[in-house]
Amino acid sequence: MNMFIAQTKAESIRIIRSPFFMLFSILMPLGFYFLFASLNGSDMKVQSTTYAPFAMISMTAFSLIGTAMSQFGIRLSYERRDGWVRLLKLTPLTPSTWIGSKMVAHMIVHLLTIIVIFGAAGLVYSIDLSISQWIVCGGWLWVGSLPFLAMGSLLGTMKNADAVIAIANILQMGLAILGGLWMPLHTLPTWMQNIGEWLPSYRYAHGAWNMLNGSAPALLDVTILLVVGAVFMVLSGYILNRREAL
Amino acid sequence: MTYAIEVKDLVKQFGDFQAVDHIDMKFETGKITALLGPNGAGKTTTISMILGLLKPTSGAIQVLGQPVGTKALRERVGAMMQDVKAPDGLRVDEVLQLFRSYYKKPLSLTQLLDISGLHGEAKRRASSLSGGQRRRLAFAQCLAGDPEMILLDEPTVGMDIEARGRFWDTIRAMAARGRTIILTTHDLEEADAVADYITMIAKGRVVAEGTPAALKAQTALRTISFHAQTIVTEAELLSLPGVEKVEITGARIRLHVQDTDRILAELLKTSWGVSDIDVSSAKLGDAFRILTQ
Repeated sequence: MNMFIAQTKAESIRIIRSPFFMLFSILMPLGFYFLFASLNGSDMKVQSTTYAPFAMISMTAFSLIGTAMSQFGIRLSYERRDGWVRLLKLTPLTPSTWIGSKMVAHMIVHLLTIIVIFGAAGLVYSIDLSISQWIVCGGWLWVGSLPFLAMGSLLGTMKNADAVIAIANILQMGLAILGGLWMPLHTLPTWMQNIGEWLPSYRYAHGAWNMLNGSAPALLDVTILLVVGAVFMVLSGYILNRREAL
Repeated sequence: MTYAIEVKDLVKQFGDFQAVDHIDMKFETGKITALLGPNGAGKTTTISMILGLLKPTSGAIQVLGQPVGTKALRERVGAMMQDVKAPDGLRVDEVLQLFRSYYKKPLSLTQLLDISGLHGEAKRRASSLSGGQRRRLAFAQCLAGDPEMILLDEPTVGMDIEARGRFWDTIRAMAARGRTIILTTHDLEEADAVADYITMIAKGRVVAEGTPAALKAQTALRTISFHAQTIVTEAELLSLPGVEKVEITGARIRLHVQDTDRILAELLKTSWGVSDIDVSSAKLGDAFRILTQ
């Protein structure tokens, strides 16, 4: 237990101290948020809400997807390449404790990220949401980040760490743009909308957008996120086990 | 006499390449044993199999009376491998505290900082350390659990003279406390200076083993080299009394012998036209070079 806590603490510190995390998961989403909100006007109508709360959800989703891809996926791949994983194998730390503490550390950091972005947006634009709305929106984004961790873990099984960076970035940008996180989906060309509405990134934000006007996430939101999470988890688990058996 | 590690008929095959070729060896408890061999001899492969990082193609390994790779064993064995980068984002003291958390009875942080000589760097990021400092940190990491047995793969590569001295002092002190230490090295003088026992391996096989003194005695041959005017076969040379090994390079012949005086007399009696005779005593290094060629 002591081992688990120490490992979780160390992994959390490593994420938070990473300059990439600060830049791509905090500063960039906040920067884009305030830029877009001031360009579009924070009270512009988007769907059944206004731009300030709408984009707060988008940018938080964008930030968390990025953290899961790079801090989980890229880092796993690098740790394997740099012999760190092999070193840990020589200690009494078990692989399940190691991966488990990494995931818990991510969930801690994701929660902090939600608080920071929600806090900044809420303070600047005095977003009018009830306490329970803040909590369910935040909670949805928090739990909904798990399928993206599963995606990250599949990236982490790749041996070529440099290729992982490229793939993670393309994937993250693709998911963000096509998923309507940068510009609302209905402003995109029809062909992009057709792809976008099936993407987990769109479904992730969509669930929370629904919550902004008091409705529940769509069944499709939950289904797609669950399926994506399960598929990537099984896939990366399969690859790791097969490699272990060699 | 008890053995911390017993390796029986160990083989590791990578495709067509036999990295470890039927090795048998034993490492005595409470002693410093050096696994000595040139690069590519199979030292790291052997160590990796002892640590359970690689599965042997065939053969058996017992560590502290147990099969390799168990969690209970990892509690009792510390290992330092080559080429491990420091984790980014953590300070030296944080890395050490993390490793301490893995073990039931860890050494204190102060002890670990003493061992590594990194008191001054405790608050620095581990990734900003120099190569030698990182090596010392890796060494402290492997000692975090106060292990009974320590395996070190090329431990002093990248350390300066002073760090090396402190490192060997620590190793000797650990051995004096009953810890078993196994290290790989390609540096013969280092093995000679610190090891109680040396196992020499080359091309995946054990070529010689014994205490440094015994190995020296065993290989304390002299060499005698000369020019021969006629063609002499290796069989003829080996039939001379006391000749252990023959090297022929062109017209120059080098014999490894126990008793040079006697051979000298014999050589002058032959009709080979022996000239330009040179007699010299072989060092452990020469023996090592010959054995591992």
